[in-house]
Amino acid sequence: MPVIEVDGLRKRYGDTVAVDDIGFSVEQGEIFGIIGPNGAGKTTTVECIAGLRKPDGGRVRVLDLDPLRDRARLRQVLGVQLQHGMLPDKLRVGEALALYRSFYRDGADPERLLAELGLTAKRKTAFDNLSGGQAQRLSIALALIGKPRIAILDELTTGLDPHARRDTWELVERVRDVGVTVLLVTHFMEEAQRLCDRIAIIDGGRLAALDTPRGLIARAGRGGRVRFRAAEPVDRFALKELPEVDGVSRQGAETVVTGTGNLLHAVSSELVRQRVTTTEIQFEQATLDDAFLAITGRAMEGDPDE
Amino acid sequence: MSDRALRPGARAWALLTLTEAKLVARDTAGLVIPLGLPMLIMVMNGLGSDGTRLPDFAGLPVLDAYVVPMTIAMVVALIGVVNMPSFLAAYRTTGVLRRLAVTPAHPAMVLFAQVMVSLGQSILGVGLALGVARLAFDVSLPREPLVAVAVFLLMAAAMYALGMLVAAIAPTTNASVAIGLVVFFAIFALGGGFGGRGNLPDFLATAGAYLPFGAGLDLLSASWMGVAPSAGQLAALAVTTVLAGTTAANLFRWT
Repeated sequence: MPVIEVDGLRKRYGDTVAVDDIGFSVEQGEIFGIIGPNGAGKTTTVECIAGLRKPDGGRVRVLDLDPLRDRARLRQVLGVQLQHGMLPDKLRVGEALALYRSFYRDGADPERLLAELGLTAKRKTAFDNLSGGQAQRLSIALALIGKPRIAILDELTTGLDPHARRDTWELVERVRDVGVTVLLVTHFMEEAQRLCDRIAIIDGGRLAALDTPRGLIARAGRGGRVRFRAAEPVDRFALKELPEVDGVSRQGAETVVTGTGNLLHAVSSELVRQRVTTTEIQFEQATLDDAFLAITGRAMEGDPDE
Repeated sequence: MSDRALRPGARAWALLTLTEAKLVARDTAGLVIPLGLPMLIMVMNGLGSDGTRLPDFAGLPVLDAYVVPMTIAMVVALIGVVNMPSFLAAYRTTGVLRRLAVTPAHPAMVLFAQVMVSLGQSILGVGLALGVARLAFDVSLPREPLVAVAVFLLMAAAMYALGMLVAAIAPTTNASVAIGLVVFFAIFALGGGFGGRGNLPDFLATAGAYLPFGAGLDLLSASWMGVAPSAGQLAALAVTTVLAGTTAANLFRWT
């Protein structure tokens, strides 16, 4: 049974259409990803689901509640971690959790949550003295303190270093394992590929695709790419002529060949024929990045924080 | 289940107010001006006072009839018009109110908590000032203590409403402090804070007498002297509270 149903959602700000006829449903217990470039309409969609914005058209139901009319009821069962939602600088970790716990009828034990999130030692630390990763973990703790049935996590790992990012991913998996449905908004493909059961790709306010990560990658073709460094000049034109090859490009010192079929064998044979010595030749399976490129026609923008 | 049961209960309101109080107390720099500056002005005046009883002030020294009421009005005005809005503006710009909006707590709870804490802070400031005035300069208590308390509360309401308006129109925290200070100095100067209103052009003096600072100062002064408070100035405080309060409520943005 779906816990979130979105149908024909529309929202515009002045002349700008932010969300244009988006529809999907999220099943109980899954990690559902919403990915797309900045300004694609991800956050607006999520804000309509959380009852923070009034849609111009369409229907949103969350646990069979109307996010705007049944606001009070929804707040008790929906935990939200916002991209731009902060705490007062001088508020301490333990105080924040105790305060937020008092807002809910039924909730988690703050001490246990602190321990699970590795924040016990930081209980008396003020919010503005936390590192990015610690602040993000606190933000997740606050989203979970009311024992929600659905957790919305918006740009969870933006600004985190790779190590903290991986820790956060494990945390999200643990949240799902206790039965919480997770709606994850991200623009990191690796994150979506690792965590999500299903992914909605939103582009220009529209739903561009909705599938499992594997399904999306399959749509990009069964191909992959071969990267290598060559000691001698490569005849790129000859490489491009191979039936398996779709494209050849240079990325710094590396040559990158994309294509399908037995790409590695085809490229290696051609390089041998050209008498080119290669180092570090490797084959990469297609990723969600490739799928995104194939579906939207453009590459995902890089993270400005990285 | 009624919606009422879904909203946070008395415990949450109390905890939020307590939390806000801790945050205000940790903002040490923010306490210096509203508690320290009025006290400093009062002490300077107290040291220079010869305690002469003046017939103009119903037989009270100028310290009792004018300086102490002005000190009280300053404490309330600085906290209400400068400090409180700076907290609220910061809460809006940094997303604190937005974060609360996705919990069962309504962000208006924070406004309530801030008003309560500011009131507590004002009472503390006034208590300190009165304590020093009494112990160091033997200042008399108001001849009409109930009127003094009522005027204090009414003036606080007007100042907080004005502060809410500052918080509502200020786009950033810095803007809120700047606007708050301008509003404070305007009502302070026109209300007689830099010397009697008699030195101002007539129309400015009249305006100043009905703005919250001048009105609060005169009414407190009357309570000390034991003379009847001016109905016009009482009405001015009430009208300020209602006008500024409703305008602020209409303009206030949560995000």
